[in-house]
Parts: sequence; structure tokens; C-alpha cells
Amino acid sequence: MKKRGRGIACMWYPIGFTVAANPSAAVVKVNEDGTATVLTGTVETGQGSLTVLGQIAAEELGIATDDVHVVSADTDTTPMDTGAIASRTTYVTGNAIRLAAEKAKEILFQVAAPMLGVKPEQLEARDRKIQVKNYPQRNIGIGEVANQAQFVMGQPALGSASFNPPTVALDPATGQGKPFATYVYATQIAEVDVDDETGEVEVLKIVASHDCGTAINPMLVEGQIEGGISMGVGFALQEEMLFDKNGKQLNPNLTNYIMPTSLDMPEIEVDIVKNFDPTGPFGAKGVGEPTAVPTAAAIMNAIYNATGARIFSLPATPEKVLAAIKVAKAKQLAKTKQLAKPKQKPKRLTAAAAR
Amino acid sequence: MTKKAKPAGTAKAKAKPAFIGQPVEMSGTLRLPAVAKQVPYPIEALAPKVRQQTPAVGQRATRPDARLHGLGQTKYIDDMSMPGMLYCKIKRAGIASALIKKIDTREAEAMPGVMAVITGKDIPVNSFGPSIKDQPVLAYERVFHAGDGVAAVAAVTEQIALEALDKIKVEYESLTPVFDPVEAMKDSAPKVHPPASNIYATKLIKKGDVDKGFRQSDHIFEDTFSTQMVEHVPLEPHCSIASWDANGRLTIHSTLGRITLGRTDMARTLQLPISRIRMVATIVGGNFGGKNEITQEPALAVLSKMTGRPVKGTFTRTEEFIATTTRHPIIMHYKTGVSNEGKIIARKVRLVLDGGAYCSWSETTLGKACILSPGPYNIDNIHAEAFVVYTNKTMTGAMRGFGAPQVCFAYESHMDDIAMALNIDPLEIRMRNAFHEGSSSPTGQVLHSVVVKDSLLQAAERYGWKEAR
Repeated sequence: MKKRGRGIACMWYPIGFTVAANPSAAVVKVNEDGTATVLTGTVETGQGSLTVLGQIAAEELGIATDDVHVVSADTDTTPMDTGAIASRTTYVTGNAIRLAAEKAKEILFQVAAPMLGVKPEQLEARDRKIQVKNYPQRNIGIGEVANQAQFVMGQPALGSASFNPPTVALDPATGQGKPFATYVYATQIAEVDVDDETGEVEVLKIVASHDCGTAINPMLVEGQIEGGISMGVGFALQEEMLFDKNGKQLNPNLTNYIMPTSLDMPEIEVDIVKNFDPTGPFGAKGVGEPTAVPTAAAIMNAIYNATGARIFSLPATPEKVLAAIKVAKAKQLAKTKQLAKPKQKPKRLTAAAAR
Repeated sequence: MTKKAKPAGTAKAKAKPAFIGQPVEMSGTLRLPAVAKQVPYPIEALAPKVRQQTPAVGQRATRPDARLHGLGQTKYIDDMSMPGMLYCKIKRAGIASALIKKIDTREAEAMPGVMAVITGKDIPVNSFGPSIKDQPVLAYERVFHAGDGVAAVAAVTEQIALEALDKIKVEYESLTPVFDPVEAMKDSAPKVHPPASNIYATKLIKKGDVDKGFRQSDHIFEDTFSTQMVEHVPLEPHCSIASWDANGRLTIHSTLGRITLGRTDMARTLQLPISRIRMVATIVGGNFGGKNEITQEPALAVLSKMTGRPVKGTFTRTEEFIATTTRHPIIMHYKTGVSNEGKIIARKVRLVLDGGAYCSWSETTLGKACILSPGPYNIDNIHAEAFVVYTNKTMTGAMRGFGAPQVCFAYESHMDDIAMALNIDPLEIRMRNAFHEGSSSPTGQVLHSVVVKDSLLQAAERYGWKEAR
């Protein structure tokens, strides 16, 4: 018989390396027509990081995402970056790009200030214009300013900067310290059907509520969450590298190493938690890795809720689930018998002896 | 070892298994390139309107590479070809722990179309690793796990390179391997990297007084959880092309996700100044932590230098499993003391990570797993210790979450067991314990921008948790 259950799991996850320096550097060049080129040493690994980094540069310069071209992944042309690891790109590389864009913008402000008859501090960049704060009607197009900067003032608008998340080393004896600059939080709820005769688990739905600070690009955040959940489903139910007694892998191929396909994917409801981290670029933190963290836990708790079967080792293959269901049924039976005798505590619940 | 180019000749395709484990993947059939359908390049700007908008932050901007992906026009490293390019294949040991007595490459070298064969002694500095430099580019003298490469061949076709692997004769003296991490921790266990201890890194987090905490608790719960080894399985396997120019400058086109540090590793293994190396990546076809360090690149560079030709190496799916990093299996012991109201008073965690044959990113995984292991909960008394252990298995390393999915499975399963025993709703027990703004983490860090309770409530609201009760 199929039994339905739901399980909840929450988590926390840090952004960047554990204490170790993991800097990013960036160069932002504003072209003479007001478009911009960003140089970054990170690599697009499919997650859409270059889009997010372009959006960060565009926001700082007050131009559109489409006006920014991001050059990446060539050690001859792009500055140092620790790379696409540890969910750090939006936060660390993003901060470096924002700072670099700010420096380029300062040059534009210095050039625009006499053109508008104000001090540079009174200016802001918005909607492809350099304008006076609170007097947006007093403005010049950013292209005009950039052109003036380059060809009249002889001062091309470019900036370079680097960022490294601030940390405090851990005390080796107690582990106390500040290993990471910031953390993200998330909750996932899974709904499953468990066949208590075969042990088969079907994940029906996952509700994922993730914090990433400001979502620079909500669509890419959703993409990360959906991808992370597929990885989490495989980790929970299917994937396992097996070795024979001589240490050779038994299933190093996609025929025998089972991982989720689109048919195994549940319905996913994504929910981005509103948050703002003042230390991140425009309040952003990151979202890459955490999306894969709570999925397996939520599914295991849903199996438990459906059948009373607690899975102690992943993956929860039908064999393991069926065995755990038998254990749960035996425990239930023992408990029913025990209930006949009054004043006996349930087996799992042990009062602290020392009290 | 290098010799003049000869025509490929009429080498017959033999379907002889050249590999350990399942022979299916590496059978000697010629791999034809997948060619995408011809499409004209877009001249007009097809970007949707949303990207023209300011402000840029918060926009659902489409990716500049989306159209290329959609049309199958993205050029990955394996889509690249250079004039005169050779193909590299690596001979895998197929034995978990052994001394290499002799490697005879003469027969392979004599094959028509084989341009060069190298072993570990041809790599200037035959070791690398993000922290401990314990991994050889090609195993020499000793094999640490069955997926170790022992020789590399460069040939004019992939087919010939594959056939040449069969002609390489390696004599091993097998050693007693150790596969179980708990066994490997014992003094009596065979050493994976003698004379070093199998326990190669540890971590300890101590906060408050855990024993006192347990004495103050009304209930104590204890359980052990464990997880398996899994692969990243990126769609695109590892692939690199090494080529030198006449000035002796090396260019590596690679699927690496971390080019700056990849370049540092290349400089070290090849004993070259960093300025003489250029590393170029393209859009990576999936990384998930599996493309964070060099693998075959120094061997490709040496082969390229010996032959004066560009050399490409593409891992098969089998090599992705046996010769690249994987996720750490962890054995997790949890002991938790709670009050009658479900408030966690003390938690003791012990983690044993199976590190496989090499350190790779184990120290990072160890640290994150240990720090995160108590969960996102306010707990005054914590004792968390973690060990990472060498075994003669495929190395474990960076993978999406660095130990966090494993410990989350344990602390959240444990949490539901506690809730069940105390008859508290799973959402409620989490709300009673979860971090809030200004909470102190297990390492004593004051946390900011904390929204774990918001995420719990939002997810419950979206799911209809209370209504479904």
C-alpha cells in the first residue's frame, strides 16, 4: 500500500572558504559610448554567474545588463580569482566587481561634475545617465560623459579592485573564531509516497524556501534551487558508487550508477526568502551549494512520517526502506504490547541517569 | 621516446577491454564527433526587453549563453581541434594498493601512430594537491587506488592511443589495501601513504561544557548515520588541450573551474615560471566541485612538449567515476541532550570522513562538515570532532556542499526523532531551537542576516504544513 508522508529539513551554509584567504579581483572598463566591459578570472560553470556579475556591474554604473560584456576565464587577460567554488562567486567576485565599477564611476563623476556645475559627491548614476541627486532632470548621458572622459579629459573611466571575505582564524584547541564572513539559510519540505510492500519511494513535491540575500537574478536562483534538488534526490534515493572486495568500482557508468532523470523529479515550489546582507554586493550572498543540502534530509523525514521507518544510511534504496519498515513495524508491535503494562517509557527515550 | 610521425596505418579495431571495472565504456570503437546542426548566427539582437531595463539588480535577465546552449552552438573544450593535434589516453592501474616493479612501454611506443608514451618519471614534479601534495600525476613506484594512472600515451587517433594502452606492461607487487575508514584509523591498519598516519586531518569545535549539558538534560538521544560515495556526474567530462609555442610558452585549454590556481599547479608540476603558462577555460559543462583541480594536464603538457604537437585528453565516463574526486562518505555519531520542552541543551558529534586515496579538498570538507554539524540551532554546549582518513579508494574532494548534505541528513533526521519522542511537531521543535539574528554559532561567531526561522515559516506556509496536520 502506498503511504504518503511529509518531512521538513532546514540548514545553514557559509559563503566562501573556511578562514583561508579566497580573494577575487576584477577590472571594469566603461567604453566611450557608456557600455562596459568586465574582466573576471572566474569561470562560468553553467550556473549563470557571468549574467549575475554583469548585472552587478550594470547596477553600480546605472546601466542595463545588456550594456555589459563580461570577459572571463583566461589567465592572460583576466585578473586573479579563486574560482567557481564554495558558493562564493556572487558574494566575493560580485563585491570585487562592484568596487571596481565604483572606481570607474568615480572617474565619470569627476568628469561630469563641472559639466553639471556640481560637486562629484552630488552625483548618481541611473538609467544610463549621470544625474544630480534629487534633481534627476539635471543629467548627462553616461556615454557622453565617458566620451568626454576619454577623448577630452584623457582619463578613460576604468577601475580595478579586489575583495577577500573577512574572517578570524579558529583557535586550534576550541575551534572558536569567525571562519566565514556570512551564511545563508534554507528550509525544504518534501512530500513522498512510500510503497510499504516494495520499499519504493516516490518524491511527489518539494517546497524549497531559500535565503540568498538579495536575489540579483531571481530566475537564476530558481534554476540553482531546481538543480540542487535534483542532486539531492539522487543523493537521497539512488546514487551510490560501489566497490568490489578488491577496491575496484562496480558501477563506473551511467547504466549501473542510477541518478535522477526528469521522470524522477518532483514538483518543485521555489520560494526566495526576502533578505539583505549589508556585506554583500547590493545585499546578495549566494545560493549555489546550499540548494543540494537539505533535500535528502527532508525526504528521509518524509519517509519516516509516512511509515515510521528511520533510514540511517543513504541512499534509501527500496531494500533499505523495506528493511526499515519491518523494524518500525516490529517496534510498533512491541510498543503496543508494552502499553498493556503501565508506566513503561518508550524505548528510544532514556532519561538522563545523572539527574 | 618520441619518434617521427608515421601514417596511422591499418591498425585494426579490437574490442578488447582496456579498463578495470566494466569494460563497456572503453571498448575500442571509434568515437565520432557530435556535430550540431548548422544554424545561422543571429545578426539582430534577440535579447528580451527585460535586459534593457535599469536597475539591473533583481531583473530576470536571460543569460548571454542561453541562445548558444539552446542552439547547440556552445563550444566546449572537446569541440576544439588544432592542426596536428594528438589524443592522449591514460593507462589505469586497476589494482587498489601495490608497488610498481616495472613499466614496459616499448611495445606501445613501437606502434604506428603512437607518438609518445610517458610514465610518472617524466613529470618534473610528480605530485599535486590543493593542500597536502600527496597525489601523483601518474603513479610511479606505488599505486594508491585502482583508478590511478600509470602511463599516458599520445597518438594520432584516440583509437590508436586506446590500443596502445593494452601494449603497456606493468608489473605490480600487490600490497594489503584498506577500504573501511574505521578500520583505517586503527594502528594495525596498513598505511596508505607510509609512513604518514591514515588520519591526515582532524577538527575540533568546543563550546560550553557538553558533559554538564548532558547532566542538565531531561532526555538524551543517540544515533549513528552514514552516507555513501557519489560522483558529480557533470554532463561534460574533464577535457584539456596542451600546446606550446616556439617561445616555449604553454597554453592549456581546460574544463577547469579555477584557472588561476590551476595555473599555479601547472607551474609547480612542470617547474615553469607562472608567466610562461596561459590557462584558458570556456563555459564549463557542469562542475559541482569536480573540476576544481588539475588531473591529467601536466601529462598532456609533457606529451605535447615531447611531440611538438597539441595534445588533447578527454576523460571517458568511466574515468569520471574512477579517476576524479567524489563526495566524502561520512559516518556520523550524534548524541543530543534536550529538555522536556524540546530545547537542545548539549550536542556531541563525531564524524569520520572517508578521504579515499588523496587529500584533495578533504581539509575544507572536514572543516565545513564539523562547523556545520550541530545544525542551525542555538546550542550552548557543543563538542564536535571530525577525522578524515586515507583509504585505497577513489579520492574524495570538493562536491556541492562540502560535507553539509551529509551532516544535514544526520542532524535533521535526529531532530525529527527527538520531536517524535517528545511529541512535538517537527516545525515547532525547529522554531524553538533555530538561530535568530545575533545568535552565536558553534565557533562563537555572532551571526547576521539570519533568516532560518523565516525560511521555516515560509516553506510551511507554502506547503500548508499546519492545515495538512
